[in-house]
Amino acid sequence: MQNFNFLADDGLVDALLMEVADLLQALIAHRRSGSIDLLGLPLSASCLAALEQRLGKGEMTATLVASGTSDIRETSFPGVWWTSHADEAGRIVAMLIEVAEVPDILRAGSADIEHGRRRLLEVTNFNLARRTG
Amino acid sequence: MAVDETLGEMLARRGFSRRGLLKFAIVMTSSLALPPGMAAAMAENLAAARRQSVIWLSFQECTGCLETLLRTSSPTIAALIFDFISLDYQEALMAASGSAAELTLRQAVAANKGKYLLAIDGSVPVADGGVYSLTGGKANVSMLQEFAPDAAAILAIGTCAAYGGIPKAFPNPTGAVGVEDVISDKPIVNIPGCPPIPEVLSGVLVYFVSFGRLPDLDERKRPLAYFGTTIHDQCYRRPFYDQGKFAKSFDDEGARQGWCLFELGCKGPTTHNACASLKWNDGVSFPIESGHGCLGCSEPDFWDQDGGFYTSLAGGKGPGWRDAGIAAAVGITGGAAAAFGARHKTTRPDVETPE
Repeated sequence: MQNFNFLADDGLVDALLMEVADLLQALIAHRRSGSIDLLGLPLSASCLAALEQRLGKGEMTATLVASGTSDIRETSFPGVWWTSHADEAGRIVAMLIEVAEVPDILRAGSADIEHGRRRLLEVTNFNLARRTG
Repeated sequence: MAVDETLGEMLARRGFSRRGLLKFAIVMTSSLALPPGMAAAMAENLAAARRQSVIWLSFQECTGCLETLLRTSSPTIAALIFDFISLDYQEALMAASGSAAELTLRQAVAANKGKYLLAIDGSVPVADGGVYSLTGGKANVSMLQEFAPDAAAILAIGTCAAYGGIPKAFPNPTGAVGVEDVISDKPIVNIPGCPPIPEVLSGVLVYFVSFGRLPDLDERKRPLAYFGTTIHDQCYRRPFYDQGKFAKSFDDEGARQGWCLFELGCKGPTTHNACASLKWNDGVSFPIESGHGCLGCSEPDFWDQDGGFYTSLAGGKGPGWRDAGIAAAVGITGGAAAAFGARHKTTRPDVETPE
């Protein structure tokens, strides 16, 4: 099978980077985050690679393990995040550029926090009860 | 799961975090071609929703549609979708049979009147009063007419349910038709394909549970997100079509180079489906990637199309098995002559022959 590197399109990469710049402007002016669904665009593998390379790597990387692994990485441009989500079989099922102070998926949910608090108390109370008697 | 429990409560009880649900929603919004910003709203709506009742009736079918949906091995989709719905009746999967199954069906309909999704796979035979396919002695067409009025919407799953499919092929002795030929006063979404792509059904179900309505449909009642473009539009071999590079037989140099299969009868240019993007077997491949042209199985009357599967849409006469052998024997000159002939046959001016 031939490779399709010849489909690389610098014009498309430039257009996406301009869109990222617009999203950054919205984040600065209105604190409104935004994102671009990369799998929904007709991008070749080489085009995606060129885009990722142009955005570069920043200071922050996080890994989420929930129904497969997700990589959330800040690019060299603060507030611009490259996120890729894999399913449990390792297949990439979503890939986005997110423009936000912090991607929403990194926040702990309030219901999860409450569930964790109760679980922590249960464990602590169990240990206390065991030690005291 | 308790009757009043929300999906969010159920998922939390199983240790499934908000992040996991949000990730699922991100994947589904991408699949449904929704703006990525809707993922948070989808996750919130899903968390607050209750399980959706689905009543699935199988008519004149081969069970291939059900098989493909059950065989999806993506744990995220398989596990979550079947958590999000309550499959209250499906003859092939339920433990009950006979009169107990009939009772289950009627109880499920009564308990979810006006709210259930009615899923149909298989065509509806209407000739001779519908006697060619019966369940519990009752004609499929009568069952459809009985259970459709109380459904919130109908999902016609597979080409047979959507358009009649193979049972409708000439001479159609059973008078097979699609669901929409029988029911005209209910929201219907057609999910054609022989079989349909499992992720498409998942997407439609998640959209309905999230937003309480069907997704946007095209003029043939297909979800626009998945059927808005042709297979040709998204095919990785499309650049070869644009360059006029075509395989002339299934074993020539063009085929080995992965050139376009248009001249071998590929129906990708006229077939609306998501095979080229979602692919099959968990994204491994799809027919064109495996070396065979698209049959157009998700289009109406695909079995009876003019010229058959191996005639090109431009009116060619199918794979040039003999021509390819001759061309190989006489070398490049012969190949160039065959290419010249092919240009005239297919009316495309820019056809190349592999060297």
